[in-house]
Amino acid sequence: MGVVMPLAEKRTSTAASLGRGDSTDLALFVRSSQDDITGWDRQRIVEALLRETLIDRDTAERISIEIEETISSGKVKTVTGPLIREMVNAKLLEMGLEEARRRHTRLGVPLYDVDQLLVQHNKENANVPHGPEATNLTLAEGIKKEYALLHVFSPEVADAHLSGDIHLHDLGFIDRPYCSGQSLEYIKKFGLNLPHALSMAAPAKHPEVLLAHMIKFAAALQSHFAGAIGWDAVNLFYAPYLEELDDRGVKQLAQMLIFEFSQQAVARGGQAIFSDINIYWEVPKHFEDVPAIGPGGKYTGKTYAEYEKQAQRFAWALFEVYKKGDAAGRPFFFPKPLVHITEKFFRTEGHMEFLEHICEVAAEKGNTYFVFDRGETAKISECCRLSFKLEASDFEDAKEPWRMRYSALQNVTINLPRLAYQAKGDDTRLFSLLTRKIELAVKAHEEKKKFIEKLMSLGESGPLSMLAMKLDGQTYLRLHRCSYLVGMVGLNELVKVHFGQELHESDEAMKLGLKVIAHMNIICHKLSEATGMKLVLEQTPAESTAYRFAKLDMTHYGDQAQEVVQGNPERGEIYYTNSTLYHVGARMNPIQRVEREGLFHPLIEAGSITHIWLGEARPDKKALAGFIINVFRHTQNDQMAFSPEFTSCLDCGRTSRGLQEECPYCHSAHVDGITRITGYFTKISSWNKGKLGELHERYRNDNQFAGAR
Amino acid sequence: MTLFTKTDCRLCDQLKKKFDLGTMGVKVEVLDGNDAGALAHLAWHGLVEAARKSLPLLVLDDSSSVIEYAHIERHLVDRARKKGGGYRPRAAGAAPVCEGGSCSL
Repeated sequence: MGVVMPLAEKRTSTAASLGRGDSTDLALFVRSSQDDITGWDRQRIVEALLRETLIDRDTAERISIEIEETISSGKVKTVTGPLIREMVNAKLLEMGLEEARRRHTRLGVPLYDVDQLLVQHNKENANVPHGPEATNLTLAEGIKKEYALLHVFSPEVADAHLSGDIHLHDLGFIDRPYCSGQSLEYIKKFGLNLPHALSMAAPAKHPEVLLAHMIKFAAALQSHFAGAIGWDAVNLFYAPYLEELDDRGVKQLAQMLIFEFSQQAVARGGQAIFSDINIYWEVPKHFEDVPAIGPGGKYTGKTYAEYEKQAQRFAWALFEVYKKGDAAGRPFFFPKPLVHITEKFFRTEGHMEFLEHICEVAAEKGNTYFVFDRGETAKISECCRLSFKLEASDFEDAKEPWRMRYSALQNVTINLPRLAYQAKGDDTRLFSLLTRKIELAVKAHEEKKKFIEKLMSLGESGPLSMLAMKLDGQTYLRLHRCSYLVGMVGLNELVKVHFGQELHESDEAMKLGLKVIAHMNIICHKLSEATGMKLVLEQTPAESTAYRFAKLDMTHYGDQAQEVVQGNPERGEIYYTNSTLYHVGARMNPIQRVEREGLFHPLIEAGSITHIWLGEARPDKKALAGFIINVFRHTQNDQMAFSPEFTSCLDCGRTSRGLQEECPYCHSAHVDGITRITGYFTKISSWNKGKLGELHERYRNDNQFAGAR
Repeated sequence: MTLFTKTDCRLCDQLKKKFDLGTMGVKVEVLDGNDAGALAHLAWHGLVEAARKSLPLLVLDDSSSVIEYAHIERHLVDRARKKGGGYRPRAAGAAPVCEGGSCSL
């Protein structure tokens, strides 16, 4: 109605045939949502019903007449389009026309909610600041979520999400894929040449320009993907541009890259771009013989193997910048640096110095992500832990690295503790329910895939024109190569409900946990074969999902849930343990945690991580380096990160170690904490209640690294 | 002792033919893509990546693992001697190889 009523031409109403006169002369004004006040025209109700639903014209006419009578008897002078639509919907319900009502639904937000949203901080995602852009994001997301649940997903899938059996991530970004990982080579080769852009830039000739292109391309990508924007082998692909720069110039470029990414408050809702840079000390084997692209998009005549030293200079400089932190000494939140530890790393000159360098950054600021590529494996990592393992076709693409771009289309997470509540100790029922929920997740993936395919089919004139661009002959988003993520939350609590102990409490509990994840792995493989979609497990970061599931289960499974839900129910700070992680409060030394959690990692093919919470501890860089080597050599762990904590004074601006009630320098109580939430650093004041509950229970590993084996 | 195998793995079949594994007290786990218990057991020993490279794999009673076929065979021969049980020595010649590339997870 309000949203759909253009001024209709007057027409002879079929109402005459129903024994009614034309009523368009009713002295009533309608506030349409097209910024207009129009005169009453009952025919607009009829037109909307015929356009949007499948009901017959006579029924539509009858409804419009009854609505007209209701309004005219109310002596109302001005009504709104949304009000009329609500009245029509009520009438459809009265008549038992539920499907027609669903199709005729108006998506919107109550006035009260908008009033609240404009002034209150939405903490669903701690990376979203508080401001007008964030409000726009929340409002748009709200409508797109409703649209997705009504119109993209089947009622079965939508109901499963709403009830908390599963979680469909990023519903507010229903018209975008999830995450993207790519290569700088794309913009080095093709320049910044985006559909509908106001200007086109040729391939960069200077390192600063390449940086500008990278940042702008990342910003453009962020507006087409719901999650992280990752870059592969960044230091290596910059290398051909660095030959003319002295060390100071390289450091300056590193500083520019990190500051630009960390300060670009341009992405969704005024966020910084969720950016990741993959870094190698060595030249990865699959890039050794690849002809290098240099300034102007031209081949330099060398292979990337010949740029090892330049790549190392840049990698070193990047970590010098991370070590210093921002102007207040705080850690940079983005871009997250992910250093690949490989067999070749240990054969490359200078690796121990570099390892100690990045371990010092890990201890000081926590930025370093350690990504373990054992044997001949290679991957590109991003987001909080997502990784794309390179397969034979990817190694073929690596010969022309601009082709290397990866995307996960969607993430669907399963509420594991709820399965245990429902199974009531019966193994067969537990695994059968788990299979059913994975099948439901796959159905959700099929539905989103169909929707994105529809948008992509509109090509460069459609809303995903950037993803449909074909500068190298293929669409930027290679739909046929996308992954579909199946995540999990609360394995620890499932095991506790079903077996009576948490994962860290006994080997038997751990073995049950492994069996659950092994089952998920097997079912995903089977369904991949059946559907032709690449369905892979990922440890869900679950920044808000761990809280949402716990809250819903406290409501619907209260008696059982209150026994296992973590956190502080009195303060509402409740949560389930993330993915397959051990409980954050489990008192165990770091190597034990890394080893034990790492047993799950090979079964979770799209990314896993272990977090070591440092608190105020600042381990020695040599001890940490030894720890990392041991993790690489003696565990199955996929990725790990160390997380120190900081206090940032909002009065004097200084940064101190640990989470303090007041600034140790100026004694102001006007402070904010900073540490890692799921995968990235951020301010604690922006955390949701569930994550605050988790923070309070984290077991900090103070000075436990000397004993690492 | 546990031997991790796969149904279409030629090297695994060779071992099963050669040794009376049941009598020797060697548990056989079959990683056929249906048995979550077997896969979880493999993961418990930290051998999923190793199995993706090659099968069979043998886990000894002290939880250490043996990966190469010839080494596995040697351990099983020792076990057969100690515990008894059928053992049909291989004819002289080259060690069997995995034909068809299916000797991995």
